[in-house]
Formats: sequence, structure tokens, C-alpha cells
Amino acid sequence: MPVSEIPDELTLKLNRDREGKRDVVTRRLMVGAIVVVLGLGLFNLFGQHPSTTVAEADAATLEVYAPERVRGGLFYEARFRIDARREVKEATLVLDPGWAEGITINTVEPGPIGEASRDGRLAFELGRIPAGRKHVFFLQLQVNPTNVGHRSQDVRLYDGEKLLAKIDRTITVFP
Amino acid sequence: MDIVIRAIVMFVFVWFVTRAVGRRELSTLEPFDLILLIVLGDLIQQGVTQNDFSVTGAMLAGGTMAAMTVLFSYMAFRFPRVQPILEGDPVILVEHGRTIDRNLRLNRITLEELAAQARLQQVAQIADIDWAVLETSGQISVIPKQRS
Repeated sequence: MPVSEIPDELTLKLNRDREGKRDVVTRRLMVGAIVVVLGLGLFNLFGQHPSTTVAEADAATLEVYAPERVRGGLFYEARFRIDARREVKEATLVLDPGWAEGITINTVEPGPIGEASRDGRLAFELGRIPAGRKHVFFLQLQVNPTNVGHRSQDVRLYDGEKLLAKIDRTITVFP
Repeated sequence: MDIVIRAIVMFVFVWFVTRAVGRRELSTLEPFDLILLIVLGDLIQQGVTQNDFSVTGAMLAGGTMAAMTVLFSYMAFRFPRVQPILEGDPVILVEHGRTIDRNLRLNRITLEELAAQARLQQVAQIADIDWAVLETSGQISVIPKQRS
């Protein structure tokens, strides 16, 4: 059977031999980039696996268990545990505004005795914690989708006005 | 403003993924591919609109996607050097009845798949194909040899 000329707009150099074309390499690099991002996701780079941070003090130990990387719209939990070595008469947990800025606090359990603003921070009055006892406090949170970037989420434990322990932490919100 | 930015980012991401995955995989529209495309669309929609259920938000997101489509199309039309980057080039798979194995391999097309595409275009034998070209759309066009 007779054969025809190469179709219009095609050339053997470009469309058959792919001379000077690096599209396959480019495509493999693009797939590689996607795989790298997925791998980083598996290793929690984009959240939201929680981590534990502890501050030891003479009077009490403060432990925060919460993710440091989250994504817009996600629900998550923060757990605060206070182990009193000595009696803490007026335990107050003071959270940086980053805990509430662009983040909806769905619920707080157990309900604190009082809530207030302490120098622009959120203060939860937890009451008395006897020596050798613990107090566990939960925040159920949801990230507002437009809240992207870093926020300071330091946590301070006071006995009345006296600072007992402090944890420095930062949350990163991915879009 | 952020919904427009999210729509632009997701448009570029979808373009990136479709270019990375390859043109064949997303063009065959077999049941699995169809479901994959619908699921992909749903995932992308959530990323773009998030908790915005408003008509305004939908118009902004949809309008942005349409504008980006026109922009990419115009760039491919206006700047010939950009076209291969945005859309790729046609690739010759069969020349005068001979398969170009390297091109088949690089585009992950088996002989069975090529033969099936030929049959869909009323060509029974690969040897009867004059030219088979993998188009930028992912479709394979088959030009049979002329019968004397």
C-alpha cells in the first residue's frame, strides 16, 4: 500500500526523534517533586501529628500535648496536664493569643472556674490542685481556613500571680 | 481575595499534575479514570472554596478558573515557544507501519493499547497504519495507509 507524507505541522526531528526535547526528564522531575511533597507529608511536615512539650518546675510539671503544624479547616485537640508536686492554690493557665487567633475554640473541658484576659493573653483559672494530684485540661479547636502562617502559642502556668512554669511553642498553619 | 489566590494556585497545581502524570492517563476516560477525575475535582473544590458556601465565592472561584484557562490558551497561541511547555508536543508512535518503540515506551503505551486505538479507527493491523500520533490531548490519531 502506498504511504503518505508526514502530516502537516509535524517533523521527524521534533515529533519522532524528539531531538532537543527534555520532556521525559522534566516529567520525571515533576513526578519526583510530587513524591517528595507526599513523603514530607508522611513525615508530618504539614501536620497534624501532636507532640509533647514539658516544662519542669519545683512546684509543678506542665505538659502540653498538641500539634505544632496544622492545616486550614482541621479539627484538633490540645491537652494540658499539670502535675502538682506542691499544692498550687490558684492554678491559672495563661495562653498566648495565638491559641485563639484565627482558631475557633469549640469547647474547653473541664470548664475553668474563671476566664479572663491577662495582659492580652487568655487566662483560664483552674482552681486548687493539691500536692501529688494532677489536673488535665482540654481544648478542642478548629483552624479557620484563612489563618495561614506562624503564631506564638506559649503556655504559662501561674499560681495566682506567680509564674511557675512556661513552655515556648509556635504553631504553623498551612493553607 | 484569598479565594482568587487559592483558585490560581489550584489551577497551576492541576496543570502541574496533569503534565507530570502524562497525557494518556487522564484522557482515556475509562471507568477508573472517570472516577479519579471526579474525586480529584472534589478534592480541589474543597481546597479552593473551603468553608465558603456563598454564590459570590463560587463566582470568584469559577471565574478565576475560566480566566486562567483563557490565559493559558492565549499564551500557547500567542507565544509558540510556550506552547510545548503548556500543552506538550504531538509524538509520532507509528511511521509507515513501523512502531517507534522509544516513543511508545516513554509514553507508557503498549502495543495492545495502540492496536486497540487503531481498531477504534477502523484499522485492523498496526502494519496498515501510515501514521499514528499521540496528540497533546492524549488521544491517539491514526492515519491508515492509502489503498491503491
